[in-house]
Amino acid sequence: MSVFLQQLINGLSIGSIYALMAVGYSLVYSILNFSNFAHGGVIMLGAYFGLYALNLLSLPFMGALVVAAFAAGLVAVGLEKIAYSPLRKRNAPSLYFIISAMGASIFLENFVVATIGPTFKTYPEIFSTTPITFGAISVSRIDILMFVIAGISLAILVFIIEKTKVGLAIRACSYSARGSNLMGVNVNRIIFVIFLLGGMLAGVAGMLFGMKYTVYPQIGVITNKSFIAAVFGGLGSLPGAVVGSILLGLIETISAGYIASQYRDLIAFSLLIIVLVVKPSGLMGKITEDKA
Amino acid sequence: MKKKLTFLLAIIMIFSLAFTGCSGSGGDSGGGNGGDSGGDSGDTVKIGWIGSLTGDQAPWGKCESQTVEMLIEQTNANGGVLGGRMLELVKYDTKNDPNEAVNAVKRLVSQDKVCAILGPNASAQALAITNVLNSAHVSDIATVATNPKITVNDKGEVNPYNFRVCFTDPYQGAVAGGYAADVLKYKKAAILYDVASDYSQGFMQYFIETFEAKGGTIVAQEAFKAGDTDFRPQLTKIKEADPEVILMPYYYKEVALSANQARELGITATLMGGDGWPSDNLFEMAGKAIEGSYVVNHFDYNDPEVIPLTEMYIEKYGTTPEINCYMVHDAYGVLLAAIERAGIADSQAITDALTQVEYKGVTGTITLGEDTHDPVGKEAAIQQIKFNTEKGEYEYVFMQKYGTQE
Repeated sequence: MSVFLQQLINGLSIGSIYALMAVGYSLVYSILNFSNFAHGGVIMLGAYFGLYALNLLSLPFMGALVVAAFAAGLVAVGLEKIAYSPLRKRNAPSLYFIISAMGASIFLENFVVATIGPTFKTYPEIFSTTPITFGAISVSRIDILMFVIAGISLAILVFIIEKTKVGLAIRACSYSARGSNLMGVNVNRIIFVIFLLGGMLAGVAGMLFGMKYTVYPQIGVITNKSFIAAVFGGLGSLPGAVVGSILLGLIETISAGYIASQYRDLIAFSLLIIVLVVKPSGLMGKITEDKA
Repeated sequence: MKKKLTFLLAIIMIFSLAFTGCSGSGGDSGGGNGGDSGGDSGDTVKIGWIGSLTGDQAPWGKCESQTVEMLIEQTNANGGVLGGRMLELVKYDTKNDPNEAVNAVKRLVSQDKVCAILGPNASAQALAITNVLNSAHVSDIATVATNPKITVNDKGEVNPYNFRVCFTDPYQGAVAGGYAADVLKYKKAAILYDVASDYSQGFMQYFIETFEAKGGTIVAQEAFKAGDTDFRPQLTKIKEADPEVILMPYYYKEVALSANQARELGITATLMGGDGWPSDNLFEMAGKAIEGSYVVNHFDYNDPEVIPLTEMYIEKYGTTPEINCYMVHDAYGVLLAAIERAGIADSQAITDALTQVEYKGVTGTITLGEDTHDPVGKEAAIQQIKFNTEKGEYEYVFMQKYGTQE
């Protein structure tokens, strides 16, 4: 029983990281209807920003987290201005956005490899690494911290989207950008806000990931899994992204722990295929016509 | 205006493709571009080097290529080879990808016309290039590639153009298994391995064979894929099986992560690993977690014979060299001996000479066996990781040399 609980905790902790990453994806997809593959690159930069904030600027943890979040947000906004905005102005088909996103992601990864270097960096030990044990189950302090921070960030995001005027505008744009434009919403500004928010979440996710594991230029690759989780939960639905990610984390852990660890990815992704065949919009996705 | 701009961009892109085509994939080349007539018949003797200059394996590949450059400089300053000919290095980055390795070797043999190749430092790449070597009749000496199939294929025949100066995975696995059973007297072992890695699987296979032959039992065997960062599902299962020792036959990044996570889960078993562990970052990333672990290594840093080379490298590059430095030094030494013995810079003559020379390198005396192209009779060094309270840092402590019958 305690082994099961331990695996449960493992799964939740993996899932919460995926959740933070997946929400950023979902946010951009719900408005612009394209998958922002460069999100992984922003997450990776978030990990590096956090590291430098801690080491070079000697900030306390929360300060570094805020710096990482804002810096990543700025990168995301810059990315939008350079890689996506020109395409939007010309009403380019979605395919072009995806190509541009991939190019941006490759650029970011190799930029870091070329400048900072490909070797791994580790975060200094801010929190004690001795785990908290409940009987035979151990939970690392960083896990609890991550869960809490992920929860708070997501709660803030939901608050912004549901309760503020900007959030209302965002929701309006997700239904119809053109319609919102006619109603007086400044769509360009909303897009700016979305990328900023998505980037900030990515920054937080990146720093937490870096703290828990290590920092290296290829962190962006892990975000493929969170993209899958977002699709699984329903692209375009923020709660869906969170639910999908946590489920994916749990499924991965259960397959590795109870079936066979070699088949972990195989099982997780087969389930994904099955869910999508049965319900193409994902678990909680909205059923919209293809806007492309 | 727009059409002109597009046309201009297209021309620039085509030109940049041409230039990158000439100068190698992503890494610098030491020379040999622009279409000269090939290294053998000119004044310089060209040798090639392939390895990972970017990616996970970059620290090792970079160290290796820098060592070769340093050694070539030294040889050329002392008069070169074959009565005064200068050595020239052509190097390519394989990005730890077997496909890139094949491309690099194709370029080396057809475009750059090298007479022999040093590297790579990874088994998957060394395996991939066999066919190209065979059709071009150019030899390759692998430095730290340990998979047995590189030199002796599945049918038991030796690959005529593959050689190596390090021990093989079966040997590493058998040494680890033998040491764990004979010397440490363990009876229950668990293994966490990388299912996507030839190296990890080979190591594990022979560990199991030797450990079980000496009376031990494998209580758990769990897998992951390189690139994974979370091993706790597998480690929880391993913890349940209660082993005395856990074998971790893979590379330092995953070792650091899995070792840290194992300790976090409350696992107290001893850890064991192979030549994928040692690296500059390992102690920084997981020192506390791996304290007391045993590592099967090609040699020991404290061996007095290696110190002059260490100092030469530190003086030129300012950092401590990795294992690759010493292995490639010996590979280079063997190659030079073979070139001199062959008398001409012809790749086939050099191939024939490689099994006829004996070279006393820093990692041991190396004679490449005719039917295996592996070094004959080299013992492995077992090291334990301990915390040195005087120096305030972790270090490898040499335990003993351990050899085993395969």
